[in-house]
Amino acid sequence: MAEKVIQIEIKRQSGPDAPATWEKFEIPWKPGMNVISVMREIAANPVNANGQDTTPIVYDSNCLEEICGSCAMVINGKARMACSALVDKLEQPIRVQPLTKFPVVRDLSVDRSVLFENLKAVKAWVPVDGTYDLGSGPRVFPQQQEVAYPLSNCISCCCCMEVCPQFNDATGFVGAATIAQVKLFNSHPTGKVLKEDRLRALAGDGGVQECGYAQNCVQVCPKQLPLTEAISDVTRDVTLQVAKDFLRA
Amino acid sequence: MATAARPDASPSSSPAARGPLAGGVEPLRAGKGNSFLLRKLHSLSGIVPIGAFLIEHLLSNFEALKGPLAYANQVKFLNSLPLVRVLEVCLIFLPLAYHALYGVYIALRGKANVIYYPWSGNWMYMMQRWTGYIAFVYIIQHVIRQRFMGVSLPEHPGAAFHKVQMELSNPWMLAVYVIAMIAVCWHFSYGIWLFAAKWGITPGETARRRFGYVCAVLGVVLAVMGLASIYAFVGPNYKNAPDDVMPAQTRLSMPAPHDASLSQGYLARI
Repeated sequence: MAEKVIQIEIKRQSGPDAPATWEKFEIPWKPGMNVISVMREIAANPVNANGQDTTPIVYDSNCLEEICGSCAMVINGKARMACSALVDKLEQPIRVQPLTKFPVVRDLSVDRSVLFENLKAVKAWVPVDGTYDLGSGPRVFPQQQEVAYPLSNCISCCCCMEVCPQFNDATGFVGAATIAQVKLFNSHPTGKVLKEDRLRALAGDGGVQECGYAQNCVQVCPKQLPLTEAISDVTRDVTLQVAKDFLRA
Repeated sequence: MATAARPDASPSSSPAARGPLAGGVEPLRAGKGNSFLLRKLHSLSGIVPIGAFLIEHLLSNFEALKGPLAYANQVKFLNSLPLVRVLEVCLIFLPLAYHALYGVYIALRGKANVIYYPWSGNWMYMMQRWTGYIAFVYIIQHVIRQRFMGVSLPEHPGAAFHKVQMELSNPWMLAVYVIAMIAVCWHFSYGIWLFAAKWGITPGETARRRFGYVCAVLGVVLAVMGLASIYAFVGPNYKNAPDDVMPAQTRLSMPAPHDASLSQGYLARI
């Protein structure tokens, strides 16, 4: 019986400043494979399609169930999570490359700390630290929970930023994920104490105003966050905050 | 081989040593700069006054379907508005120049990726930029050639129909006007949709879809009206319109009172 083979091409570079090259692999097919399990097979037997020895592929991944957000990469031209990219549903040769808008660390591993910096810049947290027990938090009604829950599903994969035409070196746009987290924490009964700070932060350069409403973010989001709705709502709040600050100055 | 090389051992290649973000997109400049204001001004100026002016312009053009005299009367009416030159500069030229220049700046900084992500919203994103470029080039030549070159229409409103007819008699120019008419109506109607979405007027998905239909209908109506007006100039109804349908216009002046003492007496009574 002829063995089924998976053809995969991976864009590799050995370091942040090293040149990138494509390397081909032919991996024996197994049932239920995804792109990560293909790369595990390469790691087990690091030989490329030309029969030459090579190094295992460097990539980020963790949970393998599309919940940790680590393994975002560009697969067949689209940004997506590698763990949920099933080989049987992909056109071959499968072409895998790192996210294009983030500095490459090595191979498919990229530095996505810009999202962390952005989340810090908008204070995307609920401030509960203190020197004494603050007691139990206020009640969150089910209606509020239903709005907040989908926003809390963000896995920080950065796919929304990768596909956004406005997220680039020229604009330094903050991206949909951070804006959605502003809506989430502004709607939290304790978190909203920082609401004005967050809105003022988002009125800075690279803030909500840079959104061009191409809506790629909401199309690509693996967790189906209502990103465009969040951008609309938060932009309105930012505009009102700026107007309020202007009139109260 | 190159791809199989070990990462070089120097500390500069580890992400921690490089520090975050080396070579990547800059993080949010929280609370810094004034691009928010500039961008919102750009967005708003597209609706008022520029969008409002566009509707006025298309309605005025529509008068051309009634013939050269009706068109001349419309031009005369517009030029009789109080402080019309001030209105022209403050409500048309300045906002239009700002919207155009800042719009080009916005468009140049976007990196369209429709090839990789051929989704409808992404197409519209790209179309909004291309129709903007078309409008930019078209409006510059339109203002120069129709407002500042040839016979001056504020002084000679009767010459308006003839002037436009001469311009559109060139088939290349006609093509430019047809393309620009569709591009501008597209840009405006999608611009209204974008305004509602981005200012938080239509945050909901269903609301945006419904408003999309409204804007599409508006865009089609405006474009059809505009194209019909173009047809009025090139169609068979008003071929070879006279140079000036109201040549007396410039000599028209307010009649002076015949009897000064009479009018003074009238004024004294009230």
